[in-house]
Amino acid sequence: MSLFKRRTPSRQVVLPPGTRTCPTSISTVLTSSGIPSLDDILGGGIPLSCSLVVLAPDSQSAYGELVQKYFVAQGIASGHKVCIVHEDGLSFAKECMWTPASSSNDPMPVLDEDDAVQSEEKIKIAWRYEQMKKFETTVTSLPADHFCDTFDLTCRIPMSVIDEAHNTKRLIPLNLAINNDLASSMDGLVNQIRDVLATTPSTEVVRLCIAALGSPEWGECCPADILRFLYALRRLMRQYPHACACVSLAPHLCTGLWAGSGWVQKVGWVTDATITMSGFGANPALTALFPSHHGLVHIHKLPTPHSILPTSDRYSTLRGLASSAAANIGTGENNIAFRCMRKRLVFETMHLDLEGGVTERRTKPSSTAEIGQTPTHVSNTAALARVAVELEETLVDKKTQGHISFQGTESGTTDANPQKSKRAKKKVAFHSDKPDLYDF
Amino acid sequence: MQSFPPPDLASHIGLILITDEIQAPADFLIHGFLNLRLKDSKQSRCLLLSVSEDIERIRSVASKSSLNISQNARFKFIDVYSHLEESEAAGGSDAPDTSPRDSQLRRIFDLVSTELRSAPDSDGKSLVILDDIATLEWLGYSVLELSRLCRALRALCLKESATFLIRHHVLDRSELDPLSRHLLQLCSYHVEVRPLSSGRSGAVSGELCLHLGPVESKPVYPLITRSAALQYRLTDGGAMFFNRGTSEGVL
Repeated sequence: MSLFKRRTPSRQVVLPPGTRTCPTSISTVLTSSGIPSLDDILGGGIPLSCSLVVLAPDSQSAYGELVQKYFVAQGIASGHKVCIVHEDGLSFAKECMWTPASSSNDPMPVLDEDDAVQSEEKIKIAWRYEQMKKFETTVTSLPADHFCDTFDLTCRIPMSVIDEAHNTKRLIPLNLAINNDLASSMDGLVNQIRDVLATTPSTEVVRLCIAALGSPEWGECCPADILRFLYALRRLMRQYPHACACVSLAPHLCTGLWAGSGWVQKVGWVTDATITMSGFGANPALTALFPSHHGLVHIHKLPTPHSILPTSDRYSTLRGLASSAAANIGTGENNIAFRCMRKRLVFETMHLDLEGGVTERRTKPSSTAEIGQTPTHVSNTAALARVAVELEETLVDKKTQGHISFQGTESGTTDANPQKSKRAKKKVAFHSDKPDLYDF
Repeated sequence: MQSFPPPDLASHIGLILITDEIQAPADFLIHGFLNLRLKDSKQSRCLLLSVSEDIERIRSVASKSSLNISQNARFKFIDVYSHLEESEAAGGSDAPDTSPRDSQLRRIFDLVSTELRSAPDSDGKSLVILDDIATLEWLGYSVLELSRLCRALRALCLKESATFLIRHHVLDRSELDPLSRHLLQLCSYHVEVRPLSSGRSGAVSGELCLHLGPVESKPVYPLITRSAALQYRLTDGGAMFFNRGTSEGVL
């Protein structure tokens, strides 16, 4: 047994700053998108030499653009070279978020509205569950991690940082020179990008941000043009493996309405990773069903630069396929939704509300549950069984309003929002005359 | 535990069509066929015409099943799009009635025929893989040109006794597009890779079926119907196969 020799690595590979190797394959280098939960979904980060497409079909919101801004901000923070393809790249960069100034020694993550509630109350919980850690719906990055910075949406990137990056040629705005022929102007853009990539040494990471591909400033696009561009971009990424790209399509291009059925799949096939963030904006029924989220996430394709199985399948906490129990028993993947809070954007697992789910763990009631004036009849149309949920509210005396409040703080004001003080009591109605309800 | 493809299928002279969907990509099958031919037969050649994948990924996936592609002289990788770009830059064609794009695809055909004919030391059996043809259609090549290319390549492979594999992406299973229909008419065997109808699962990545194409009259290999589909689970370098409803080798 003494024949075993410890294998020591013959050479230490020095990685560029702001990157790390993938746990499953040593040849894959990952870089952060700026959002820890999105990194988790992608399997640790965006692999270099890959292109990520974010589709956001909701035309009233700008979730795709928000993800792009995180991408740019993380690139500037890590010292990478960032190229922005936009009508006015510099002003796009100026709108990015930044890390809050005083967060260097703070071990706690950024407190949001939800966290404030939990830290105030001490939940009475059965003794055997007291040692269990809190139910987590999302992942956050460690504060000492230099891979992904904690960005705060309330902080703008300082002008000095932008100017410094621009002057040292680390922030490069690129324009699409509009000719009469879109194909030739796209080719021109591809050549510009190739020039930037060719002149950058391979030890420096280049991040390519293409905001709003197919928007009016690009002219009249047809589906083949977009696909050709994405294909050419992917080839460029392969040719220069120290680069990665993040593309967001204009909202009207994100669904099959524009290009016919199968469009999203085509986009998925010609790129390395594709996700859709479909916001609830236009649909009040969905907002009522999932009050604590702003939209659903659909994953079409995940990056597999050096293997057949995506890293995310083995390591993603959010998707839920990582545990060996999931692999053996064959549980399905978690549903993922996103939420844009005051200070950050998170992707989290989506669970049905109190009475809607079969397996559900919640230690506190949802504070953002919608409360209506009259009992509303909300039916969960997603599942096959029909569950009727009725909301009834109990009126609270105005005098005691100050003592009962969701924030858990004593507020003496009596002119608090009357909606907040009403507590919704939900009950589920089991209809015995409809025997198909729980028919096993 | 099951294995796919059956070794004889990988040496079948004719066109084998592999269709897949974005939820269940068939990369593992392409690598499976490649492994089988390069490892089992010491003399057969493999020619990979790749539209979407690059050599780096193929090399790293092959190394996971301990196959060294870069050292293997019998393996040839052809980057289809770079050849198409070169011929586009070279200018128009000789014959005035053919379109410029026609001549570009013709160049691919010429490349394959030179490769197949210039291998005197092999036992004559080659494997030609075209991965994939749907992307060429989406990039703008017409269905007519692509179907002509497929038919020409198939005839060439029959003449040179080579196995021809085409990978095609299906967007909508219920409504086949013209190119799919054309390819289905040409093929001897059709391997259909589909996701599970109940969605993604941790244990099973998808299922595959083997159908007989219209060219062959009698199946030589046991067919796999949709109701008894062979399920697979992806691993880093390939896939594990097991029968539907069983858990051999997985649990």
